[in-house]
Formats: sequence, C-alpha cells, structure tokens
Amino acid sequence: MPYEFEEILETIRMTEIEHFDIRTVTMGISLRDCHDRNIEVTKQKIYDKIIRYGSKHVKLAKEVEAQYGISIANKRVSVTPISIPFDACSMEEFIEIAKTLDQAAEEIGIDYIAGYSALVQKGMTNGERELIKSIPYALAQTKRVCSSVNIGSTKAGINMDAVNMMSEAIKLTAELTKDRDSIGCAKLVVFANAVEDNPFVAGAFHGVSEPEIVLNVVTSGTGVVLEAIKEAGYVDLQQLAEVIKKTIFKITRAGELIGRKVAEKHGIPFGIVDISLAPTPAEGDSIGDILKAMGVEDVGAPGTTAALAMLNDSVKKAGLMASSAVGGMSGAFIPVSEDMGMIRAVQAGNLSLEKLEAMTAVCSVGLDMIAVPGDTAATTIAGIIADEAAIGMINDKTTAVRIIPAYGKKVGDMVDYGGLLGKAPIMEVRTISSAGFVGRGGRIPAPMRSLTN
Amino acid sequence: MKFSEEEIRKITFDAINELGDRATPEAVKELVRIKVENMGGDYKFAKGDASSGRVILTSFGLNHPGIVAGVTKALGDANCDIQDLSQKLLGDFFTMIMVIDITSSQKDLKEIQEDMNKVAESLKVKIYLQHEDVFRFMHRI
Repeated sequence: MPYEFEEILETIRMTEIEHFDIRTVTMGISLRDCHDRNIEVTKQKIYDKIIRYGSKHVKLAKEVEAQYGISIANKRVSVTPISIPFDACSMEEFIEIAKTLDQAAEEIGIDYIAGYSALVQKGMTNGERELIKSIPYALAQTKRVCSSVNIGSTKAGINMDAVNMMSEAIKLTAELTKDRDSIGCAKLVVFANAVEDNPFVAGAFHGVSEPEIVLNVVTSGTGVVLEAIKEAGYVDLQQLAEVIKKTIFKITRAGELIGRKVAEKHGIPFGIVDISLAPTPAEGDSIGDILKAMGVEDVGAPGTTAALAMLNDSVKKAGLMASSAVGGMSGAFIPVSEDMGMIRAVQAGNLSLEKLEAMTAVCSVGLDMIAVPGDTAATTIAGIIADEAAIGMINDKTTAVRIIPAYGKKVGDMVDYGGLLGKAPIMEVRTISSAGFVGRGGRIPAPMRSLTN
Repeated sequence: MKFSEEEIRKITFDAINELGDRATPEAVKELVRIKVENMGGDYKFAKGDASSGRVILTSFGLNHPGIVAGVTKALGDANCDIQDLSQKLLGDFFTMIMVIDITSSQKDLKEIQEDMNKVAESLKVKIYLQHEDVFRFMHRI
C-alpha cells in the first residue's frame, strides 16, 4: 500500500467529519479594458467579460469537488477596483455599473462579486470620490456586490478625509438597508494595507498588478485544527505549535492541489493559496473555540492575544513550507458574527471591542463583522477605523474594519443574516467623542521604519 | 490513443491557421475533433483527467458478510483494476482501503462514485472515493 492506513483515515476524517473544505475559489478578472465613453457600452463590456470567463466557474469547481472528495464551499469572482478603469464615471454611472456586476454574478451562479473598490490611502481622484459616494446606494440596490476601500498604508499613512467619508458611507449604508438588519455594511470593508490578491469576499479585488485573469483559492481547516489541538492534550506550547503546523501543512497542500486543478480545467493561471484560518457559523468551525482549546477560559481572558499570536504564526510557518504560492491574507480571522465561539464570548460579556482590537494587532484582518448600536456617531466609527488602520500602518500588516451600526438597534439586540454571514450581538461602544481628532482631516503621515520600539 | 497537451495545442493551432478568417470557437472545436478522430484518437480527452489515474476507496461500517464481495463486484463490473487492498477489523467495526486504477474503466470517477453510493446504501456502510493526488499531496513531500 503506497500510503499508511492511518494517513488515509486521517484525510477521510478531515474531509468527512471535521469540515475541512476549500472555503472559496475566487476568479480574479481584470476589467481594465472595459472602459468606453458611452456608459451603456461600458456596462455591456463588463457584463460580457465576466460571462466569458466566469460562465463555467461553478461547473468546473463542482467537477473538481467530486474528483477529490473535498468540497468547495464558495465560488466567487473579484474584479479590478472599479474606480480605476472607470475613473471618469459619475456617482449615478457607478451605481449602474454595480447593477451590471450584480446581474453578471447572478447569471454565472455565484453568491458574491467583489471589487467595487477604491484605493485612496494617499489621496482621491474625482472618480474615486464619486465611487465612495455611490457605495451606500450601490450596496442597497444590489444583492451580490461587495465593496472595499483602502484608506491607509505603511508607505502612505492614513487618509483621514477618506476615513471620514467612509464612516459617513457606512452609516448611510446601514440606514438604506435597515429593513434587512443593515446588511449592506456586511458587504463593505475599510482597509489599511489592502493586498492585491486577496480572494476573501467582501474585501477581495483584482489588483492592478495582477494578470488578465487568475484563480485564487482559500483553504479552511478551522475544525481540523480544533480537533488536532483537543487530541494533543495538555502539552507544552512548543509541542502545541508543532501540532498546529502539521495540520495546517496538510490542509495547505490539499488547497493548492485543488486550486491548481480548478485553474487547469479553466485553462487560466493559478494565483495564490490563502492559508487563512477562517471560521464559519457552523458549530466546531470556530477560532474562538480553538483559543479556548488552547487553554484560555473564554475569548477575552488575559492570554487570549498571546494564544492568537501563536496560532497565527504557526499557520503562516506551516503554510509557507507547504506551498510556494502563499498569498492573500493568510492568517487567522476573528469575525464576530461568523464564529459561534466569538458570539458566545460577546454575549457572556467576556469580549469587549477594546480586547478585540488588541487581538487584531497579532492576527489577520481586523475588526470584522462587528455590530454596534445604530446611534453610534459617524465620528466614533471614524475613530474606530483610524485606530485599526493605525495598527496596520505601524505593524506593516493588513487591517480592516467591517462594522455594522445596526439601524435602530441597541446593545443586547442581535442582527441575524443567516448563511455564512451569521448573526451578531450588538457590542457596546464607548460614547466619549473622537470628533475633535478625526474632524481635523488631512493625512496621518507615513510612519518611520526604524527605532521601532 | 492519448495526446499530450503539446500535441493538442499544435493540432488546435493548425486548425486555427487552416480556418483563417472563419475561425470561430465552434468551427475550431469541430475541426480539431475531425482531425483527432482521423488520427485514430478519441475526442474524449476534452473531459480532462477525471477519467484517468488511481483512486483511493475507503469503506467503513459495522462488519457483516458480503461487504468485500459487494464492493469488488461493483468495481469488477465497472472494469476497475484493484491494485492494493488492506482491511482491518476493530471489534465489530470494519475498515477497508483499496487502491484502484480506473484508467481502463469505461466509466469516469463520478460515475463510479455514483455506483458506489448505491453499493454503500445496500451494504449499509460508508464508501468514499477520492483521487490519489489528495493523499499524495497531504502526506508526501
């Protein structure tokens, strides 16, 4: 037998019992050749191009699923940040483009299409300003379109004018989608140091240095890692790091295989495998539960940040050994609404917004899927975004804010979206004001890279 | 007769050149099909590699007579070549792992999986079929 009995059973256990799956295959499509002076022609070009490349996306992914016995949970598409090729458009025209993206996504049978985006960390063009103004309306009038805006970077600093615009956009999005628990905000991400090959929706976009078309893949073995840690028992931390690394190594290898096979079937280049540990609302598929299995009583206890730092680092080390195509976010995600362990910690009063912010300094992304009271001031949201962006800027890492000021809701209420977006308890936000600081506008200068104490 | 990727590319380019201005995707596809068939080949390669290579079959459930017979009979009917077989009993619990070559089968992996689902249902066991590559990638560097 070419494989040990135990090896084969381990793989079967991972795929059949512990929810190991390929979280997402994301097809990145460049729209840079789709501009035309006539908006109707532009829309037709965008639609045709997405259909041309994406029409077989779901079908081919399903074929690979059957062949390897590993399910692929989501099939998605990311496009060039819309503000770049269509910079000459007005707000109304951008909304029309969003609707076209929505139709194309529906036609090819995917749940989300991402890239309704702008990169404004240094400053804004007129087109980018129009796009940001259009975001709330675009998200309210479409179902599948996701938007992201990069407002800061280590090289450029933080564009506080953009932060202020985004906090207003988030508030308006929440209001325009109030009949569905402000769901529009769940499709809007504010980034610092956004990466160009991120396959994770809602923050995905097809960066300007990416090829014409590319296929990226996200692995997710949160449940597998949780079981491996439980099985390891009460070992010391170095041994625990080994257990995590071995598990992630195997997951990443399988992820790369699946990604390459799907790309091969399409006849398009394979891009990256994103090795992030991301939760789903399914029981057992929780980063919060992993942290608890590592030994803290609940998420939010002193020691949580250290445990998360170790988990995140182990994931990276193993993933990099397993694949030469690691990219995207590649770290542990700690969204609240999509993780039963995190939801429980918030409801029990063990996890506050402040502790969560500290945790984001050592793991992937940032304050993700956080629901806050609907009457939270825009300036307070701007302060939260600025804080998170500062962590990203200083630590040279990607951070993001996906915050939901749930219209009409108060602390203790819940928002419930169902599906992968999950449900979130409304978290308490400090009411002391940030207005005097964020209201100054301008830009926080780029940080220095030496004397880093 | 199987063609390498290189050969397929060459045939396709020849077809495009031959058609010149008339080269629509459908016309190229049709011409390539005719060329391949004239060369004694089988146009089925367009299905990709799903119908080739080795597959690992894993089966487990409560032990009772006829499990191995049931599984191997279905594989034999589908013209699959069993290359290796390993079986263990843990108390009443039955586990079997097979390495199967399905290149000579007239069915592709998906069809064999469907056959096995029926066998699994009648034998009251679980049967999983996965391409060998998954195991190779996960457990071998």
